[in-house]
Amino acid sequence: MKNAVSGLGLAPDAAMVTFPIDMFLPGSDISPVETRKHEFYDGLTGWKSDLGAPSNGASPLLSVRGATFEEALVRANNLILANQWGDGLPVWPATRERVQWILQGTPRPREHVLGTFPPRGGVATVEICAIALAMAGGRPEYLPVLVAAVEAFLDPASGSEQLQAASGSAFPVVIVNGPIAKQIRLNSGFGCLGPDPQHPAGASIGRALRLMQQNVGGARPGVGTMANYGGLRYTNVVFAEDEENLPAGWTAHGTERHGFAPGSNSISLAFANGATNIRRRGAKKETPEEDAVQGMHRMADFMRVPNLAGLAGYEHGTPGILMIPGVVAQTMAGLGWTKRSMREFLWEHSRIPAEHLRRAGGYAWIEIDASKVTRDSAALDPWPITASPDNVVLIVAGGGHPTNSYWLQGYSPGVVGRAIALPEEFPRLLAEAERDLNGG
Amino acid sequence: MVTLEFHEPTGRLEARQPHAPRLDALEGKRIGFVSNEQWQAFRMLPLLKTLLERDFAGIEVLPINAFPQGNALIGNEETAAEVKRSGVDAVIIGNAA
Repeated sequence: MKNAVSGLGLAPDAAMVTFPIDMFLPGSDISPVETRKHEFYDGLTGWKSDLGAPSNGASPLLSVRGATFEEALVRANNLILANQWGDGLPVWPATRERVQWILQGTPRPREHVLGTFPPRGGVATVEICAIALAMAGGRPEYLPVLVAAVEAFLDPASGSEQLQAASGSAFPVVIVNGPIAKQIRLNSGFGCLGPDPQHPAGASIGRALRLMQQNVGGARPGVGTMANYGGLRYTNVVFAEDEENLPAGWTAHGTERHGFAPGSNSISLAFANGATNIRRRGAKKETPEEDAVQGMHRMADFMRVPNLAGLAGYEHGTPGILMIPGVVAQTMAGLGWTKRSMREFLWEHSRIPAEHLRRAGGYAWIEIDASKVTRDSAALDPWPITASPDNVVLIVAGGGHPTNSYWLQGYSPGVVGRAIALPEEFPRLLAEAERDLNGG
Repeated sequence: MVTLEFHEPTGRLEARQPHAPRLDALEGKRIGFVSNEQWQAFRMLPLLKTLLERDFAGIEVLPINAFPQGNALIGNEETAAEVKRSGVDAVIIGNAA
């Protein structure tokens, strides 16, 4: 709540009366309200903020000393954890030199303000992005993607203001389109959702974004964010669409969803709160047509659950991100499928019978939704999991193997795109990366 | 000795407005509730209304449905304007969990 208060531009405290969670549960004993009534009365009358005006200065420098570099590094990491700025893995202290090196990766000045990070309201500058990227082990050529992702994250349409603090454990998913993906070693193939020493960019960029969510946005577990489980938060999800294996006639996600020019560099950000492998391939003597349709049904069946996570983006967002490998996309295209026809099939076959929704209590959530389109959808039987097939995000990515597809369950009021801005000296940064990482 | 200097990563905060001034007393005042209708607010806030009315002479505490309720409505500008127009001296907002 203090985060939310500072996010509104007030000093980061407030007159609050706090109770253990038990009191907020159905049938609870609420007598402590009376026992502690004077705290409410004081909040209305005598309460004063303990905090003065917050600092408006630039990011200060901290200092540690050690007999050796290793001792200084250990002390720096201890200090970072003591201040709750780390994530449990070692971080690279954001030295002046390292931050300056990373700042080469953007055409924007270091003091350029990208917005304020909810819920705490910390000001996100380009410099703060570089600091986070330094801590996350990043490099200058990653910075353009991180800056674009932060811009999208801070766009009110993303829903980050609520999702940063909400219990649903949302994590940002950043999908990259354009040649930059390959240039900076961002994964679009085998293991694209996890750390990969051959493609280290995604882990660093995602970790930097997470560190910003925590440090600038104040989203510390159980304090600034009530995310029950917090899955996929070490590195969030940052990957590229496998554009090399997009079938002829299929459009890249950045162009299809956001209208960016084909071949241009862009990111697309949505929130998800689930990640599940779906066994897509058949096991016996299916024809190609049977294999395709059975796999489509299996994916639609998986999407057809009254979990209601998709309500957050029912009208404008997404019920989730479905990833299919390039080899599957090629086969599907050969059978006449397009991204659009696949989305329409999945939308139609993931509709939930009213009876299933009713027995799971789904209508109560639909009826209290802020969106009229969502509330009106309660009249539909079977109930579509999202307002339009176009809301489903379908991405060609993953290793070149036909067995699996992947469903990132959406929890996303919007899907926000941003163009990626590169500095003039970007080719030099790529050459230096080649030298550093590939022995070139 | 080796000295390692590094940046603090949290970013500055900008206080753009002060907290609302507190009331000198609750007697004779008009108090409202802005409720998200969740987390037992429908039980706790009426209890608080009863307690306030019992403990402070001349206080007027509006019912919990005097203003729009629910997360989708309580944070918007229309609700804020409605609260302001109502002439309440203070509001209690609840519940968060």
